[in-house]
Amino acid sequence: MSTLDDKINEINRLAIQITKDNDDDRLMNLSIGPQHPGSGHFRIVIKVDGDYIVYADPDIGYVHRGEEKMSEHRNFIQNIPHLERPVIHDSTNIIYSYSLAIEELIGINPPRRGQFVRAIAAELDRLVYTTYWLAIYGIFLGHSTMFMWPTGDRELIIDLLERMTGHRVTHAFSVPGGVRNDIPYNFKEKCLTQINYFEKRLKEYEDIFYNNPLLRQRTEGVGIMNKEDAIKLGVTGSVLRASGVPYDIRKVEPYDVYDEIDFKVQYMKSCDTFARAYVPYLDMKESCHIIRQLLDKMPDEGSVREKIVGNVKAQPGETYRRVESGRGALGYYIISDGSTKPYRLKISTGSFRNILALPFLLVGSKLGDMPAIYWALNYWPIEADR
Amino acid sequence: MLKDLVNPTNVNIYVSKLSDVLIKAVEEPLGYAINWGRIYSLWPVHLETGCCSVEFGAASSPRYDVERFGMLEAFGSLRQCDLIVVLGTVTRKMAPRLRMVYDQMPEPKYVIAMGACAITGGLYLDSYNVLPGADSVVPVDVYVPGCPPRPETLIQGCFLLQEKIKRSKIK
Repeated sequence: MSTLDDKINEINRLAIQITKDNDDDRLMNLSIGPQHPGSGHFRIVIKVDGDYIVYADPDIGYVHRGEEKMSEHRNFIQNIPHLERPVIHDSTNIIYSYSLAIEELIGINPPRRGQFVRAIAAELDRLVYTTYWLAIYGIFLGHSTMFMWPTGDRELIIDLLERMTGHRVTHAFSVPGGVRNDIPYNFKEKCLTQINYFEKRLKEYEDIFYNNPLLRQRTEGVGIMNKEDAIKLGVTGSVLRASGVPYDIRKVEPYDVYDEIDFKVQYMKSCDTFARAYVPYLDMKESCHIIRQLLDKMPDEGSVREKIVGNVKAQPGETYRRVESGRGALGYYIISDGSTKPYRLKISTGSFRNILALPFLLVGSKLGDMPAIYWALNYWPIEADR
Repeated sequence: MLKDLVNPTNVNIYVSKLSDVLIKAVEEPLGYAINWGRIYSLWPVHLETGCCSVEFGAASSPRYDVERFGMLEAFGSLRQCDLIVVLGTVTRKMAPRLRMVYDQMPEPKYVIAMGACAITGGLYLDSYNVLPGADSVVPVDVYVPGCPPRPETLIQGCFLLQEKIKRSKIK
């Protein structure tokens, strides 16, 4: 019997015991969120015995907006703006897999230059997402320099994306058939300058945050999730890679131009909270490397979008396409009945998969470790609620 | 005699009368000064209802820095806050929590509705789980349009609220 099964049995036993002797004075009920400086759009119900957590129940669904039902009443192009709202700071990635799925249903291929521009926007958005995540992680651990630095550097990348797409965070840039418009004049040089600067800053982040003895003490050896448990719990993205599984959708099932790009899958074998906090940072470094290659290999001339009619009809059938977003595998399962609207649309998000691991990590750990464990799961509540 | 006049059933009437008298006495000479003190110390509650929280976070970043205009960062307890920024979509599950947080805040309190979803429901107007605007739950002072609003727009909304406080009577 593995350790995970032991833990599940232990949690079930405790849950039964807790419901039996509910008026036990030893246990204290805590409801953390939704009004809390850290939790966001989310609540965790916790029972503590002294300083140790004996029961944890994540309560999600505060921002459930019914995206899947709404998309059945809009056609394929009209669906783009509201489907990117769950992760507004990673909006190219969440629309990327939608575009891939619709392209497969309609039966078109984007032009080669369009594929490169889309990949560049997706990698820049990954940087924007991860810097915001890092900033909030800084707040969680009381490190306010780590809020100020990434949010400041993030604005430079947002400027780049604003020049490219026309809006700060919600771009609606990737569409079925390529991207909405071509990159502006002089974009390549500007992008390279920013990426070079950002890489320099990343080294400083490592010095001030990741090599900080305080952070090391609070995260190393905390919330261990070993390789077998991680695979069984079905976590994805940086959380899975921090448990020693080199799994990246860009490598496993390459989409668009990622099979021409030379990059490594960053993973760590220490399986603790520090690894989960450090893998997104390594991903940012790798993203800079990927953007440089994409800019280098991009053809200078050519169209960026395969034009389709606004009210396009899809072939009947079903499809599932996924991409590697900032939080892990992000897929769309779409059934089409041959009309202009999807018959059924299901979004499979990385956040929802990762939050399932939270009770297993929290039970048995100290209450003070809760913020560090929770936000290192790379969880964005709105995306999980959809 | 006094015992007959003031008893536990009507004591709150006397207290409220007394507070009315006090406010009247203070309003004329000190009203401007009290409002001036209030407009540069707006403490927002940290309650995120939707996805505009990303741009609210960006407004506290070094580039925009709303703190220099008198709107502080959202890290305090709600017992010491006097501003609630409704950050986007108000769903059926979040609406009772929003009202609860609003009721627990001390007077005076102000509300900014940020984003199209908090104003009318926005993109999610026809969704089954979204309320058409935050003003059906809490009284809104200033509306900040956009989807999501840029940080500059939020700062402008902050200015409008300060202007409103400056011209209003003290509570």
